[in-house]
Amino acid sequence: MNASAGLGLAARDLAELPDRIQSEVQRAIQRSIKGVEYFSTSGPSLGSTPKDILHVRGTMNLYHYRPIADEIYRVPILIVMATTNRGYILDMVPGQSFIEFLLKRGYDVYMLDWTAPKPEEKTLGMEDYVLDFIPDCVRRVQQDSGETDITVIGYCFGGVLSLLYGAIFNDGPMKNLICFTTPIDFREMKLFQNFSDRRYFDVDRLIDSVGNVPPEMILSSFEMLRPASRAASQVQLWENIWNDEFVKSYRMFDRWATDTLPLAGEYFRDITKDLMWDNKLYNGTMSVGGRKADIADIKVPILHAVAEHDHIVPYDAAKHLIARVGSKDKEEVMLKGGHVSLVAGANAIKRLWPKLDSWLGGKST
Amino acid sequence: MADKSNDPVVLWQTMIGEMEKGFNSFANQAMASPEFSRAMNQAGGAAAGAQKQLGELMEKYLLAMNLPSRSQLVGMAERLQSIEGQLNEIKALLHQVHHNSAAPAGGYGTARPPRTKRPPSPGGEQK
Repeated sequence: MNASAGLGLAARDLAELPDRIQSEVQRAIQRSIKGVEYFSTSGPSLGSTPKDILHVRGTMNLYHYRPIADEIYRVPILIVMATTNRGYILDMVPGQSFIEFLLKRGYDVYMLDWTAPKPEEKTLGMEDYVLDFIPDCVRRVQQDSGETDITVIGYCFGGVLSLLYGAIFNDGPMKNLICFTTPIDFREMKLFQNFSDRRYFDVDRLIDSVGNVPPEMILSSFEMLRPASRAASQVQLWENIWNDEFVKSYRMFDRWATDTLPLAGEYFRDITKDLMWDNKLYNGTMSVGGRKADIADIKVPILHAVAEHDHIVPYDAAKHLIARVGSKDKEEVMLKGGHVSLVAGANAIKRLWPKLDSWLGGKST
Repeated sequence: MADKSNDPVVLWQTMIGEMEKGFNSFANQAMASPEFSRAMNQAGGAAAGAQKQLGELMEKYLLAMNLPSRSQLVGMAERLQSIEGQLNEIKALLHQVHHNSAAPAGGYGTARPPRTKRPPSPGGEQK
């Protein structure tokens, strides 16, 4: 850039300065008005796609979303949600709901969602989730839909549970499997590894003391992965509080992220010992309730969606999934974004959901 | 604005973003050390033990004061949840009975759509 061009630019900037100041003053006024509004109103209503509760048993909830297409695919979908968070991340608001997208595209959708395990459910272990809850929901979906085949979609740790289920019940009825950001190599979840270092972390003492793992502990372990991000996001919120769309989106994701569930004590103990310490899923030595659960035994078509900037499940922890499963029809798709925006952000709407539809449609007839 | 690099708001936002990245990266490095794990787990273990003891003490205190304890309230909430669960079961059963008895011809409007959908042909319109 030569000197005259530089001077020209500076002169232009100066000429625009009054407009810029006016715009910033207007935003400052809006911030004050909207700031009061923010604290005096609640956020948008989430998870409002019409659904029926098919079954509730303790921490387990099975929903059926009411079809909205005139004609639906033969094979129903069962979504298995991560046990640490609520399922409404997949059903935020109309226009930003994965569930609504699937219904509009003609899928029959069921969801296995979780509520906080009660104190007496502290004895629930991996065995209960994989050999009881998921098979029970699968049976109920079969009964309700009248179909034998089922497509299973697992998000994050719901993906791990789906893999374990698919590995054990490898002769059906799961017809297709879709995993979102699913870790299998737990050595690569470096910070979680360090937090649960077996030399210093006495999981037995913790579980024997608290019963179920409190949600505050789960939330703080997630937040510790990016300790400055909460403060930075609040600065961003204040800067953008004049912008209704930004505020709406912030409230939706913030509410979901902080709405963390406690984990059943024995289940947490199993995860820590079998996965975090012994990395059994990756090593092919995993068993649940005495039944071998090797993902090499999964033979159904599988799609694995991973996020390029996932700080919770880094790519290194998820990348071996496709290589390890025994399926012939298998595909990994990597998309820009993070752990949550992969399934619920703008990228999800533009890229992941249409990709999933084109992959699954032909396999759902 | 002609040049975003001169815009103070953009400069501020960039600075916040860079500070966030820098602090996260620094903290992640610190948290990756065995010393951090040892200190964190010592503190966490002590807090969990103290929390349990305090809970037991409070339980005794509330009993002496003839007040319901948290576990009793949780118990009541569980009973309510159980009743709610049974109501949902009944609702689901009623829904199923209604669904099964719905006449396919004419119908009641609640019958499910047919499972006949086919994927759109390549390049074709999505139904």
